Amino acid sequence: MNAIEVQDLRKAFKIQKNREGLKGAFADLFKRQYQEVIAVKDITFAIPQGEICGYIGENGAGKSTTIKMLTGILVPTSGHLKVGGYVPYEERERFVQNIGVVFGQRSQLWWDIGVIESFQLLRKVYRVPEQDFKKRLDELVERLKLQDLLNRPVRKLSLGQRMRCELVAALLHNPSILFLDEPTIGLDIMVKSEIRDFLKDMNREHGTTILLTTHDLQDIEALCSRVIMLDDGRIIYDGGLEELKQRWGTGREVLFQFGRATKLETLRQWTEGLAVTWSAENELNAKVWIPLELNVSDVLGRVVGQADITDIKIIETNTDEIVRSIYQSGSANKPEEAAGSFMAETTEAPHV
Amino acid sequence: MTRMFYYLGLIVEYFKNYMKTRLTYRADFWVEVISDLLFQATNFIFILVVFMHTDSLGGWSQNEVIFVYGFFMVPYAVFSCFVNMWNFSERYIVKGEMDRVLTRPAHHLFQIFLENIDPPALIGGVVGIVIMVISGGQLGLPFEWWTIPALIILTLCAVAIYTGIYTALTSLSFYSDAPTGILPLMFNIQNYGRYPVTIYNRTIQILLTWVIPFAFVGIYPAALFLQREEMTSMALLTPVMGAIFLGIGLLAWNMGVKRYKGAGS
Repeated sequence: MNAIEVQDLRKAFKIQKNREGLKGAFADLFKRQYQEVIAVKDITFAIPQGEICGYIGENGAGKSTTIKMLTGILVPTSGHLKVGGYVPYEERERFVQNIGVVFGQRSQLWWDIGVIESFQLLRKVYRVPEQDFKKRLDELVERLKLQDLLNRPVRKLSLGQRMRCELVAALLHNPSILFLDEPTIGLDIMVKSEIRDFLKDMNREHGTTILLTTHDLQDIEALCSRVIMLDDGRIIYDGGLEELKQRWGTGREVLFQFGRATKLETLRQWTEGLAVTWSAENELNAKVWIPLELNVSDVLGRVVGQADITDIKIIETNTDEIVRSIYQSGSANKPEEAAGSFMAETTEAPHV
Repeated sequence: MTRMFYYLGLIVEYFKNYMKTRLTYRADFWVEVISDLLFQATNFIFILVVFMHTDSLGGWSQNEVIFVYGFFMVPYAVFSCFVNMWNFSERYIVKGEMDRVLTRPAHHLFQIFLENIDPPALIGGVVGIVIMVISGGQLGLPFEWWTIPALIILTLCAVAIYTGIYTALTSLSFYSDAPTGILPLMFNIQNYGRYPVTIYNRTIQILLTWVIPFAFVGIYPAALFLQREEMTSMALLTPVMGAIFLGIGLLAWNMGVKRYKGAGS
């Protein structure tokens, strides 16, 4: 069963245009000009139950708008959506009982009272029976190591501590779908990895479906089997992370460190016949770029037997670079395909 | 029914939370109570000053006008305690806190009322009751079996009228980006409802009775207790007006929420 189903979803905003200058301001007073901005342009996707899906895109690509429609905050302009069996904006109150929401930039908790008091209040709001609540809270508190924080007021918590509390707040009612909007924004590396581990466990143990938006691609690498990439309100990629890497990774780079000086010409000679590119900073360090069609081992085999090597490092094109180049081109088609199509003039196929 | 218990339970919870928060800032709590009372006292003194110059106001004696003022204080106190939407536009729309409200399983308007409850305002209601008892005693008003039930029902209806008007006006925030300046204006107009409407000209009477019915919050229902027969039928109309205006308010609000645009990211 699909936890989230979205079809031809569109959201248009009417934005008031402000004319320039004092004269413009007066003109606006009597006749306003509006501009229609389409934030989400007829997107379609489905997320099966129990999947962790990453939702990425540049600022203003429409990620938050989509999440807000999926969580029942915004009413779509057109299209169909069904989340956990409900149409979010139609049966909002019943629907939200099944979902958890964490907005990285906003707090669910009451600022001035102890964390535990906020949890108690949320228990009442979500109608969680006392016993279930206790069990669940103990489990979450232990898992996220919050024992010492429970009685502190939220305003005295660090961002990392607060974020962990936010997660608990969003999960107290045991939702089957969890929405996270930039959950790791501004957090240090330790807290980030703690939160990632926690989300992975949640997903494994309770089968919680998770949809998260993030700008930190390490979140995606650590958590998501699937990525949906958005650009200017349209989905430009929807599929596995591995597949994305394979399609977009143009090659690998191998760094060599030599024990004794080795000339660039010698290296080129050794790999004669292979379409690789050598470069060197000095005589002890050299880099070779190997396209995807070639086996790394073939190249290594040629070099290893003959050179005095002290260190080898293989670098794959990382997700950061792949994503950056996709953003730049605005299309997730493979560079060759893009170049071959009639879109060629507008989408410049980038090479990393 | 379970739904009603759920909401009543929430009122208690939010009330407790308010207390926990506020008791950490005790001084603030008392400052609020005192400034509230001072505000009422200035209005009260104004009535006394008026009656130093005249014996009756449109046929109403000083004690009668004071009684009306006392009655007015009760629904006003309940309204101020539970319905505080003065900073709605800024807090919920501009800062986007409406997002959070909309992801929780209780009615959005109710959540906003609860998040902004202001219990110190209730003290004004107690003062109002005291004023009614004293001025009523001086007027020799009879205390009937229906006095207390009628007081409760009319208070609730008056609160419904208030809530309806302010909710409808606040829901304009969903349509316009800028906070509306209309609420302070309303706040001033509502004061007119405390005086016998017969002292105003015809247009203002109609305005206060049918368009923005603040007369139903003060003078009309109070007239029932003052045995002013010319206004008894109006007093009995209070529940109808309450239902109509609360309905309008809720309708406008629910339509507004559908247009909510969210803020920033």
